[in-house]
Amino acid sequence: MEVKNKEELEQFAVVGKPIPKRDAYYKATGQAFYIQDVTLPGMLYGKILWSQYPHARIVNIDTSKAKRLPGVKAVITGYDVPEFRFGFLKDNMPLKKNKVVTLRDEIAAVAATDPDIAEEAISLIKVDYEPLPAVFDPIEAMQEGAPLIHEERGTNVLPLPWKLKVGDVEEAKKRSAYIVSDRFKTTWVTHCCMGTSGCVAYFDPQGNLIMYANTQIPYLAQRDFQEFLNVLGLGDKRVRVIQPYIGGGFGSKLDTYPYEYIAILLAWLTKRPVKILFTREEEFKYTSPRQPTIIEITQGCDKEGRLTFREVHMILDNGGRTSWGATTPSVMMMPISSLYRVPNVFYRATCVYTNNTYCQAMRGYGNPQATWAIECSMDELAEEAGIDPMEFRLINANQPGEITPQNFRVSSCALKECIEEVGRLLEWKEKRGKQRDKARGVGMASLIHVGGGARVYRSDGCGTIIKIDDFGKVQVFTGATDIGQGADTVIAQVVAEELGVPIDDVTVIWNDTDICPWDVGVHASRTTFIACHSALGAARKIKEKILQLASLILGVSEKELKIKNGLIFSEKDASKNIPLTKLLRNIHYKTQGTMMMAEYFYDPDTEMYDKEFKGNFSKAYAYGTHGVEVEVDKETGKVKILKYVAVHDVGKAINPMLIKGQIYGGAVMGMGFALTEEMIFRQGELMNPNFRDYKILTAKDVPPIEAVLIEPWEETGPYGAKGIGEPGCVPSAPAIANAIYDAIGVRIKELPITPEKILKALKEKEKG
Amino acid sequence: MRYTINFKLNGEEMSTEVDPSWTLLYFLREVLGLKGTKEGCGMGECGACTVQINGKAVLSCIYPVMEIEGKEVWTIEGLAQSSEALHPLQRAFIEHGAIQCGFCTPGMIMSAKALLEENPSPTEEEIKEAIAGNICRCTGYVQIIEAIKYAAEERHGSKE
Amino acid sequence: MMRLKVKEYYRVKSTQEAINLKRQYGEKAMYIAGGTDVIVGIKNKKWNPEVLISLNEIPGLSYIKEENGYIKIGALTTHRQIEKSPLIERKVEALMDAVKNLGSVQIRNVATIGGNLCNAAPSADTAPPLLVHNAMINLEGPEGQRSLPLEEFFLGPGKTSKKEEELLIEITIPVPPKTAKSAYWKHTRRSALELPIIGVALYLDVELGDYGRLQKVFDSPDLTWDDGLRALNESEIFCKELRLALGVAAPIPLKIKDLDGIVKGKRLNDQVFSEVIELALQKAQVRDSWRGAAWYRKEMIRVLTKRLVLICLRRILKEV
Repeated sequence: MEVKNKEELEQFAVVGKPIPKRDAYYKATGQAFYIQDVTLPGMLYGKILWSQYPHARIVNIDTSKAKRLPGVKAVITGYDVPEFRFGFLKDNMPLKKNKVVTLRDEIAAVAATDPDIAEEAISLIKVDYEPLPAVFDPIEAMQEGAPLIHEERGTNVLPLPWKLKVGDVEEAKKRSAYIVSDRFKTTWVTHCCMGTSGCVAYFDPQGNLIMYANTQIPYLAQRDFQEFLNVLGLGDKRVRVIQPYIGGGFGSKLDTYPYEYIAILLAWLTKRPVKILFTREEEFKYTSPRQPTIIEITQGCDKEGRLTFREVHMILDNGGRTSWGATTPSVMMMPISSLYRVPNVFYRATCVYTNNTYCQAMRGYGNPQATWAIECSMDELAEEAGIDPMEFRLINANQPGEITPQNFRVSSCALKECIEEVGRLLEWKEKRGKQRDKARGVGMASLIHVGGGARVYRSDGCGTIIKIDDFGKVQVFTGATDIGQGADTVIAQVVAEELGVPIDDVTVIWNDTDICPWDVGVHASRTTFIACHSALGAARKIKEKILQLASLILGVSEKELKIKNGLIFSEKDASKNIPLTKLLRNIHYKTQGTMMMAEYFYDPDTEMYDKEFKGNFSKAYAYGTHGVEVEVDKETGKVKILKYVAVHDVGKAINPMLIKGQIYGGAVMGMGFALTEEMIFRQGELMNPNFRDYKILTAKDVPPIEAVLIEPWEETGPYGAKGIGEPGCVPSAPAIANAIYDAIGVRIKELPITPEKILKALKEKEKG
Repeated sequence: MRYTINFKLNGEEMSTEVDPSWTLLYFLREVLGLKGTKEGCGMGECGACTVQINGKAVLSCIYPVMEIEGKEVWTIEGLAQSSEALHPLQRAFIEHGAIQCGFCTPGMIMSAKALLEENPSPTEEEIKEAIAGNICRCTGYVQIIEAIKYAAEERHGSKE
Repeated sequence: MMRLKVKEYYRVKSTQEAINLKRQYGEKAMYIAGGTDVIVGIKNKKWNPEVLISLNEIPGLSYIKEENGYIKIGALTTHRQIEKSPLIERKVEALMDAVKNLGSVQIRNVATIGGNLCNAAPSADTAPPLLVHNAMINLEGPEGQRSLPLEEFFLGPGKTSKKEEELLIEITIPVPPKTAKSAYWKHTRRSALELPIIGVALYLDVELGDYGRLQKVFDSPDLTWDDGLRALNESEIFCKELRLALGVAAPIPLKIKDLDGIVKGKRLNDQVFSEVIELALQKAQVRDSWRGAAWYRKEMIRVLTKRLVLICLRRILKEV
């Protein structure tokens, strides 16, 4: 990395600048095509029949009427297709047979020439069930005699060893001057991507599978689908995954779904492309939401306010089948062990099968839930110790260069600066504890998240291929995916900067596994860090080639050559120059000509967790603090956010405008998580599968938000950058809850913080 | 049965046969192949399908196509389709980071367009009211509101 | 569903044409105006008409005017048109409050007040304001026109006393006296796209005695509801008439009857309010639902009724 520091960075052409998102032109003119817009010749439309009971035996499925409906080309059930198990614990399959364990279970599917015919065919399928007793509460499901979701396992408790032990918590308890203990809960909330899920499965004339999918894991999905093809006896065929523009991700597409395998099955049977597209109602009901949690947390500190221990026990409702929700404890360990300096830690999480829906990744991947408990508890502990909550956080703030209890190597860390900036922007000293009479209060909460990739799989790598054509236009083929966050732009920025070409000459291509190199996926806020490093690696290789050739042509040493605006020139003698385009044509159009291409695979030297769940699994860590000022209407319980500040340690901002977009979007998602969003289930059935009753915030609900970037130099990052995709929504809920406590002296411990909960708590406070 | 309707679409006079079972959104996307207008929910609860009818922002997913008889319809395709001639709103959205995944963008721009044509100098409150029916999950609305303000100021200040 | 199962669509040019078609097709046909309820209902499989009779081309059904002591609103007037009406802003404030917060701009651009009433949801935002203004509605059917008070119109969720073929054509509201003002509070979780958890409309006509203290509070920048109520208790303001209506507190939008005995001529204070609220709670049938708990809805009726009195008084004092 040639750039040594921030000062050198100031002279840059595009890095650090608010370059508009590269595909924004397509999106602003309606020309961007999403999975909704993909149509292939001869395409059929698939529709799925889901279970009518949360827990039942399937006695009989009668598809005869559906099969006879004109326009229907295939009807399948779990009994018609080879057995295939997938998912983290291999307890999921494309179509269910024998038993259903959640209302989300897929029973049958239909492919027809028209979506309305497909819908009608579904209504003609008759299923006989034998309902079984169901259980919807994980604590109940853990008891003796509870109905077993997967009988063959003999228990509803998942065999997952989530346990983290650092130091000696019991001993630390004895040494602590102050201890607080409390219980917090979060419930299901969901991604609400504006573009619903869908795919088009198509077998080409040679029997290779092409999947159009709005997936966030094109290469992992490719592998999953390849495994499926093996089961179908098509092991010698290829899989190609093509991503259209993606209408929102937020983690919802980090796993493969039953409907994707169903589309493949229907395409295989009908020998025609099959499209499955979820309606909004299906999106709410049949995609996997955020993992709910029941959290018991105990923290202690000494007389000076230094944390002595943190003990956390969690129960996670796993639902009927297993997706990434069951792995969120592996990420929840991160704030539990490393948010603030705490020497002794114990964490245990138990995942329990129930007949509820099952969860997967959602922005933050468990971090928002864990931070909810930790940061509320921090305020409680500060109060117990008689220390101001901001001061308490400063006393315990992480420092650059630290090694945390989970062996994270913290390089850059501006947590202290973030806390102080929030304090300043909120006028903390003037306001904290001083506005009770107006029912106003201020509160804050911090976060830690991975900022330099995350080795959650064996590989955390990303590949890039760069080619420069005769016109000096640069094509960058990356394994990364743009889900709206700006991967297509920041990659172009670093390549344009490195190669000295105008940014408009750089195009990033990312959406085809046949064309682009491998990447593990767009998760863990890793794309800026990892994909840009990868792109830089390839760009440097190409630049070396260019300068070598230019030095031969110009007769000067490579060391004095620079490229700026597409012109290669000697720093010492400006008359020695050659346009890049001329050089490219020179080397291409001659005998034994060459092309200008390079490839690079970047996989950071981080560690996977060891058996004790310790290991530096990211190259860098992102920090931040959110601060909120609220006003509570004590008669209605409604909370008004007067001011919201989000201060983030992002390393160097490659694109400040796009980073702020992530922060604003994350903060508003966090506010929804805190105050209004919840999936309301009754006996496993989702009561509010629509935008009218699932309360995602509108433009009128958004308070004044200020996003502040603190930019310490992250030496391991590309141009000093760290990740930002998820941090924006991590500390919102506890910041708001802490502010409410300051305003009215009640602490709500279950999200969302609704007016009813506040009013109830206020009335109880009055009585008591 | 089919009916012939006459209307104006993106400035062009049209006369077409339509089926009363079609919503305007279905007609635009599936019959005319204009995929710019999106379906976010199909129930009039998210605004992604917003188009302009006689200048007013309308949810096309719950609007019968038969009702456009004699009316003027504008969709996102009716705004500039190339970077040389972008509508000020399109340019403002692009330059202010108001677009991330982009799914809500066509509907959002049409709501903003309807606003600025009725109220060329809206306050921030008025902007929020105009787009309150357009849900965005990515941006948190902040840069969208900034973009609309900028487009309003730019238009208002320019000599036309 | 991608397409509605509608086979025929008539854009009629007169009420007579509409009524004739409805008679002809019977249950197979539905009237449609803005469509924001009808199309959603068809997509939800609530209704399955083969024929839609569009009323949008019928001339002369969209207006807001004052005539002979009445404010008259044509049934096809959109909420957006009402939102922009200076007449409604000045004289039917509660209705203005309601339409300003209804759905979204896109919905208000096409949805009509007639449609809102005929859909007869217990949550219909325009209903409580019209009820407290003693609105009458005019229906036209095969047998001609008839009028009835709005309070007799609602029979149950989605059910009205309108006969199948009848059309709602006009809403009339007696012009309120200069000393009367109204207000509507839609209690929601978000600020747009919402149906109310509870909706409360209040109409108030007063005789002003000593209101100096109240005026002072209203003039001060940091008015809290408590300040307002305290000042009201210490003022002399006599109630000439108080009308209250609730949304989402019963199977129908509910006008609270028999309030006169409690309020007429009385000085407005906490005691009177408690009695009004008690009566309202008695008459309402507030339910528990996953959208909102009964205890919370009742508590909001208590809180919001008092606040609406203050809002009305503030509006009254502005004109004095």
